[in-house]
This record gives sequence, structure tokens and C-alpha cells, in this order.
Amino acid sequence: MREYYTPTLKNRAQPNDDWIHSIRQKYPTERTLDEVLTKKLRNRTHTAEHKTDFSDLENQLVSFLKKATGQDDLVLKNLHRLSGGASKEQFTFDLTWNQGNSIRSSEKLILRMDPTESIVETHRLRESQMLNAMWGEVPVPKVHWTDPVGKELGHPFLIAGFLEGTVQPEGGDKASGLGMFFEPSLRLDLKEQFVQHLAKIHTIDWRKKDLTAYESPRENHVEGNEWSLGWWERVWQEDAVEAHPIVENAALWLRENMPTVEKPVIVHGDYRSGNFMYTEEHQINAVLDWELSHIGDFHEDLSYTTCQILGTPLEDGSVLTSGLLSKDEFLDKYQHYSGNTVDPKRLFYFDVFSYYKVAVISVATSSRAAYGRKTHLDAMMNLLSGFGYTGISALQRLLDQGS
Amino acid sequence: MIETRTLKIINGKTCVMSPEIEQFLSGMKKTIEDVVMPNLSDRFAQEQASIVAASLGFLGLIQDKTFHYELLENQEYKRVLTDINELLSNTFSAPAAIIETTTKVTDHFDTDKVDDPTYLRPYKFIRGSNEAMKELLCEFIQQQAEMPTELRTAFEALMKPFFKSIELRERSWVKALGFDPEAEQQADIADLLYKDGLLNIGKR
Repeated sequence: MREYYTPTLKNRAQPNDDWIHSIRQKYPTERTLDEVLTKKLRNRTHTAEHKTDFSDLENQLVSFLKKATGQDDLVLKNLHRLSGGASKEQFTFDLTWNQGNSIRSSEKLILRMDPTESIVETHRLRESQMLNAMWGEVPVPKVHWTDPVGKELGHPFLIAGFLEGTVQPEGGDKASGLGMFFEPSLRLDLKEQFVQHLAKIHTIDWRKKDLTAYESPRENHVEGNEWSLGWWERVWQEDAVEAHPIVENAALWLRENMPTVEKPVIVHGDYRSGNFMYTEEHQINAVLDWELSHIGDFHEDLSYTTCQILGTPLEDGSVLTSGLLSKDEFLDKYQHYSGNTVDPKRLFYFDVFSYYKVAVISVATSSRAAYGRKTHLDAMMNLLSGFGYTGISALQRLLDQGS
Repeated sequence: MIETRTLKIINGKTCVMSPEIEQFLSGMKKTIEDVVMPNLSDRFAQEQASIVAASLGFLGLIQDKTFHYELLENQEYKRVLTDINELLSNTFSAPAAIIETTTKVTDHFDTDKVDDPTYLRPYKFIRGSNEAMKELLCEFIQQQAEMPTELRTAFEALMKPFFKSIELRERSWVKALGFDPEAEQQADIADLLYKDGLLNIGKR
């Protein structure tokens, strides 16, 4: 294992109460995010390597489900680990039980469970509340049970309905769905829906939804953006395995150039290929991975989704947003469907923000999780640093433009 | 069969350095790809094995350059921190917190002297020194907000080419990992590290 080269690196690897307190004071974030980030730091020295052996999981799951449903005769079969994804351990299983209508039926379900440390540390209550809020608005899986604490299976989790569909087209295999390739005919069928769903998410009246795990930022105020930046700044300071001058400079630029959020909306936070699913009829039947969602500026999603590094490069040198359409076409359609007007200055701010976020996740947290051997994907976490450093390069080129 | 071996002579004794690390890594990669992966039925295991194979391929490409990468960074950070200290010692308007950071830089240079033959030091010493210097530079960067306009402008002018050199170096280092959509446009890391067959340092 690596030595602690500096006191800062030692604090990050072995955080004590005083250091945790100082980080929480310096980088204020939303309450529930503070909860999971603080828990991560407190557990860092107390938890062993993450175990990928899940031989006990079936028994634990059956016990939990019997308790949750009050049905001793439920039957669980075909528990399998899913491949793909980068942040949570995912399993599918078939459950036969009485769903409240006195008719016994079977359903395929998905278990999304936190590893010991994840590439993104997020709150299962936030994710389940957001999925419930989206139910009936955009296609999402139905949440059945959530344990945000982790007392039932040893790690926080949520269980939702499993939807059949395709996330990665044949031959489009890429890590976590980045840079995925869709055939032109498929693009034509999916691109309109892809934009429409995002426009819908941004126009939902979130104040009428049960989103108690989320803070509500004020209109025409910077606090929504302060929380967003505070979240990732804090994660960088907690997880980075080396200091990085470009990332540090970017954080300062983002703080000094922060715009107000005119009208806060639900921000998905990770809206891209790999995080939606479509049917054989080419209908998007699920928008997935809501764990980074929050209330903030719609430009944040637009910049992230159209971020070049997440796009699909074509032979002619152009890049398709999520492998589906050009950035210009995406923004035109978005304005048409949402009624929101894109402000180029804010868009540029969030272009910088998106690359900053990519750097934090892919250079700091992924490396930290692998350093502590805390995930089921340690090898992949190391590899992702390549994505992160490419992102830092793009970040610097943007900052050069901004100055 | 005649083997070509890399030999190293320490205190008059011949030490065999064979197989070379590159050979170990390429052997492991071949075994994973040709033997292990075709016999895995579990999709998750297949996915992870392919990531291990890709990591081994990457390590094979960069393993012989790691020490020199750190050595180059060591020279670069010493150079830029020296320049910043000179800039700050020539101004009377730097706030106390910034002066404090310059003192930390001077203290660090007692441990890893600017003109020392750092290349004789162990890898971990150089890596540790580099990390300490990166943290000090980040302290200066955070302190930009407190700098008077003239000082900040001069500081930014020093940093601009330095940032550029970092991003070019890092992007070249990771281009073989396959995430860079512009990989073909990035310099080969060996071209950045070496010039005329020697480590590319001392370019003031």
C-alpha cells in the first residue's frame, strides 16, 4: 500500500473527528449528502476491504423481504449479479409474493446496493424519493423497498422493478456507457425522446413532490449552485490521492464566476447514454441512475449531457451527444420542448463545472475507492483515471478560453 | 537456446534482471486473454477480466517511464515554485498568509534541494517530494483571491504555461487507456519525456 506522503494525504486515508469536522464546516452541502459523505469518512478506517463474495446475500435478502412484506411463504429465485455500471453493486432476482391485491404473482426485481466505498457516494433515500417523484412523469422503474442505513443487508440499498430493454446496443460496449455507438436508424428513433424526457424532467413542479431528502434552493439566488459546487469540492478534498493544480484552479474559477439559479428545477445529474434503456420498438422505457439528482440550474444537465468527453466521436471528427445527435441540435430541440432559453454564459459556466465533476469522480474518488480496495470494481476504478485526466486536460483548455 | 538477458552489476556481482517487467506483464495479459477469458461463463467476471487485461497492457507501456515521469515533475515543480517565491519576494504587497506559504516552500527545499542530484534518490522520496510541492502550489492557487490585482496577474502569467505542460503530460500518459477521443492528436509520452535520448529537463 502507498505511504502517506503528506499530512493531508494521511488525514484523507485516516480521517479523525477534528479533520472531518473541519471539512464539513468548510464545504457545506445538502443535509443528506453531508450525511453520506460524513459516514463514508467515519467508516474509512473502520471497514475492511470490500467483499465481492455474495454467497450470504440470498439468505439475508429473503429474511429482509419476509420481514418487509410479512409474508413467510414468498419465494426468491435466480439471484444474479449484473455486469455494467460503475457505482453500485447490482443484482437481479425473481420474487413470488402477494403484492397487496391478494393475488400471488412473480416479478423480476433489481437490487441496487452500495459497495463499501463508491465512485459516487450518494443517498438511497434521495434516489428512491426521486424515482417515486418521477413515476408517471418520465419512464422509471418502480421502487419497492429502500434501506438508506444499511442495517438489513450490511450496505444501503434499494429494490425496484426490473425493466426489460437495451442499455448498450450490440457492439456499443463502453465502460459505464460512455461514448456509446448507436446505428443511424436507432439514433433517429431515440433522439427526440431523449431530449423530450430531459425537457419534461426540467419542467416538473418539484415543490409538489415528496422530496424531503432534498434541499430547496431559492430562485434568483446562488445557493443552488453553491450546494452543487460545495458537494464536489468537498468530495475532492476528502478523496483526492494527490493534489492537482488545475483542479484547484478550476474550483476557484467556479466559485468566482458562479451565476444565480433563476428558476431551480430537478437536475438529473447524469443524463447520458448508458443511463437510459429502450425497447425492441425503440421506445425509451426507463431513465436510470438518479443518484446524482438534485434541485438546481437546468444548464447543469445541458452542459453535462453535451460534454464532449461523454459523447461519441465520429469518423468526420464531430461528436454526438450521447451518441444520438449534435450538440446544436440537442440544444435547439431542448429549448423547443422545455420552453427554457439557453443562456450561453451559464452554459459555459456549467461546461467548466461538468469537467470539474468528471475530474473529481474519475481522478479523486475512483482512485480513492481502489486505493482502499473498497469496491467490487477496483480494477475498473484505477482504469477510470484515464477518463479523469483526459477530463482535466479538457477542463484546462476551457479555463484558458474563459480567461 | 540462447537467452538475451538484461544484466546489472552491483558491487562487482552480476545480478540477473530477467525476465524484464514488460515480459511478466505481457505474459499475464496473454494468459488472461487467451486462457482465462474464453473459459469464463459469468458476464461480470468476463467484464472484470477484460479490465485486468487492459490494465496489464497499459502497465506494459508505461512501467519503464514511471521514474522519469516523477523526476521530470520534480524538476518542473521546483522550477515553478522557485519562480513564484522570487515573484513574491520582489513584491511588498503579498498578504501574510501567502508569505507563510513561501516560507513552507523554502523549508521544503531544505529537504529536497533544488540543485541536488534527485535522480539518485529512491522513487518514493521523489514521489513524496512532488506531492508536497503540488500541495504547496495548490495553496498559492487558493490564495489568488487574496492577491492584489498586479500580483495576481503576474502569478497567472506564471501559471498559464505550467498548466499547459501538466495537461499535455498527463493526457499523453493516459492516452493508451482508451478514453481520449483525440488520442491520435496527443504526443507520445516518450517524446515528451525524452529529447535527444535524455530526460527532457532544464528547459528554462
